[in-house]
Amino acid sequence: MINDINTKKTNRTALLLVIAALILAFIFMCLPAYNFDVIIYSQKSLNTTIGDANYSAALAEVQKEQKRLEAEGYTSTINETLYERTKKSGEVSSTVTFTLNSTVQKSMLAFLGTGLASSYVLLAIILFMILSIACLAAGLIGSSDELWSRLNGKAKTFRTMAVALLLVACLLVPVFYMTNTYALSREIYLYGANLIDQAGSAEFYQKIDYLLFDGTAGNNITDFIAGMKFSSTLWGWLTLPCVFAMLIGAMQIRHGNIKHALLKLLLYAFIIVICVLTLYPYYVMLVTGFRSSAETNDMYFLHIFPTKWIFQNIKSIIDRGVLGYLKNSLLIAGGATVIALICGIPAAYSLARMRYKGRKAFLGFVIMSQMFSPVVLLIGISQLMSTLNLNDSIIGLMLINAAFNQAFAIWLLRGTFISISPEMEQAGRIDGCTTLGSLWHILLPMAAPGIVTTLIFIFINAWNEYTISTVLISTATNRPITVGITQFSSFNMIEWQYLFAASLLATIPVVILFMCIEKHLADGLTSGGVKG
Amino acid sequence: MKPTLGKKIEPYVWLLPSIVLMAIFVIFPICIVFKLAFSEVTKAGIVGGFVGFRNFKEAIGLPAFKQVMINTFWWVISVVGLSTIIGFIIALVLNQKFKGRKIARSIIVFPWATSLVVQASVWNYIIKYEYGNLNNILLNLGIIKEAINWRSSFQVEFVWECWVGIFVTIPFVAFCVLSGLQSIDTSLYKAADIDGASFWDKLFHITIPLVKPSLTVSTVLNIIYVFNSFPIIFTMTKGAPANKTDTLITYLYMLNFYDRQKGPATALSVIGFVILCICAGIYMIAVMRKEDAE
Repeated sequence: MINDINTKKTNRTALLLVIAALILAFIFMCLPAYNFDVIIYSQKSLNTTIGDANYSAALAEVQKEQKRLEAEGYTSTINETLYERTKKSGEVSSTVTFTLNSTVQKSMLAFLGTGLASSYVLLAIILFMILSIACLAAGLIGSSDELWSRLNGKAKTFRTMAVALLLVACLLVPVFYMTNTYALSREIYLYGANLIDQAGSAEFYQKIDYLLFDGTAGNNITDFIAGMKFSSTLWGWLTLPCVFAMLIGAMQIRHGNIKHALLKLLLYAFIIVICVLTLYPYYVMLVTGFRSSAETNDMYFLHIFPTKWIFQNIKSIIDRGVLGYLKNSLLIAGGATVIALICGIPAAYSLARMRYKGRKAFLGFVIMSQMFSPVVLLIGISQLMSTLNLNDSIIGLMLINAAFNQAFAIWLLRGTFISISPEMEQAGRIDGCTTLGSLWHILLPMAAPGIVTTLIFIFINAWNEYTISTVLISTATNRPITVGITQFSSFNMIEWQYLFAASLLATIPVVILFMCIEKHLADGLTSGGVKG
Repeated sequence: MKPTLGKKIEPYVWLLPSIVLMAIFVIFPICIVFKLAFSEVTKAGIVGGFVGFRNFKEAIGLPAFKQVMINTFWWVISVVGLSTIIGFIIALVLNQKFKGRKIARSIIVFPWATSLVVQASVWNYIIKYEYGNLNNILLNLGIIKEAINWRSSFQVEFVWECWVGIFVTIPFVAFCVLSGLQSIDTSLYKAADIDGASFWDKLFHITIPLVKPSLTVSTVLNIIYVFNSFPIIFTMTKGAPANKTDTLITYLYMLNFYDRQKGPATALSVIGFVILCICAGIYMIAVMRKEDAE
């Protein structure tokens, strides 16, 4: 009972801390988060050089404007640029452009209601933070009357929800900055350079105008933000530790033990970082594979996702023979797997079940042969293949892949066979089965999971093999997919979108296959070959 | 009762297909490589008489040889070393119980199942200066103000190649160690908890000694795979500039198939083969020890 009261007390303190962190977060949100270096007034003075009568008149006008703007709250500095041009007739015309540069500071909250993408992100962050407090409070309510007690039954769910909401809010803070940078630099560049259709641009500029000048700039907005520089300040980023502190508080309430909660958080953070990093190249492959050719080669076009998903790319690579390469890969990998298993199963069986001279020596050789990657023997292999007249043939690649995967086949299969008790086979033999019969009817069905693992592993190895194929295959139509995709990256021109679309086709099937056997494989590789 | 002749040769009949396959496609190429290494070989590939160690002398005398050997050394050490450390940590984490463990396991295994050419091509694109995805993401996040040239010199390029090597090797280590971790009896940890052992005590006195056999197996296998790794370097730099980012394997490939210096190339093959055999020997000892321990 005392323990219970203590928990309630710590929980209440934690809740107060979470609320304090929320308030702090709001304070940071009100402080300037961005400095925008913008032009708030610009004036071109023709037929003017510095120092003449036109110049003084224009300057006076600009200074008047500066005073007027200062009264409105914009402090600015006057900049002037001289532009000289020699006409064909030899006459020199010069123009002076006066600009009033000002630093406009905007807090995070200023983005709310502008309609920019980041405003919605910010709205989500704020909503999530407030909702999570509500969830925490609901999860902490006492059970005095009926309604409250019913809520109390859901206490754990509420607390979990609060943690989840805050976690998302944490992740959304960088997203807010990202959408801002994206909108403000990339889109301004794109609209300015007329690279995107103009329909959306007027609306976009209106939003920017609303953000920076409270909508007073009107049609001048394009001039005002041309060449705009902006940078984020520390204040906005300080929101992140606040949300994080809220998250930790919520976890304390959810788990009861702060050390446990922190460790768990650390664990998830680590796993998420590793997973994101692992998936990153696949993400790049996916989005680049469906971009247009122009987009893959231009920094300013590289959005997080393609501006338009071009599924036509798949059709283009099929027209360039990718299906043929896939078929070759399937043939090579399938053939190699079948050959490797036909040779490997009997060998693994005899190594697992029989005792004879040279057994250990053979096993040793099998383990050793795993060291000889085909690459170091490349020269010997290519020589051998031309003697056997198997150069440039799919059958040759099948045989080589089978031979170099023998070690794995025997290694994995022997482990599987050993783990199955020989008694069943002996019983079968008493019933009149031959050795071959008992192998076929009794052992193989029982060893099916191990055999499937081996089969898939060899298939993947052969599918992904690249080096031998580049050396042996010279006819384009005989290429496997790993060699086939390199045709999209010739020395002087790389067609990234096709390269990655084809890579996707080459990768997805094997990754899925591999995920099926992943659990059995590691055990088999480290223990299968050495047991017994 | 003496076993009949049939019974005696039966096991060898079972082994026969496997032996034939390996004899033709593994043993025979080894013999060819050794024969070529000690013979005179013309650019067209015509094999002359025995020349002793002349090919080896020529190979060692090649201007790029020293750089290539240094690269190979760093390549193997950095890739194997770092991937073992990171893989070990990942395995420790994956061995904990948490929600979504199965998904995390499936995701982490991805690079193992992907062709090295594909991985290398993707990373090649990611680190492009003018339009690479890494620069793009960092710019979008506002972390950098202008694009960074990730491939400013061959040293940096080599570091990137090592990174890709580490990236694709981690899953293998992680899963080997994980299978070792899962075979550890959990009662050992419970006993240690009762004795008041800290996390580090448990790590150094229970976990590491018990996964050492799996760790040895994975490390030695890794040394061999990484030493033999060809597609990453070939795809990303092709050894350029002037063989400065080559390892032994890519160098002998270039030497043989591009420069047509078949004599020195086969000599390098033999050198690589001998290095691998030494590793294999260490590996055999490790495996036998593990077998004895069980």
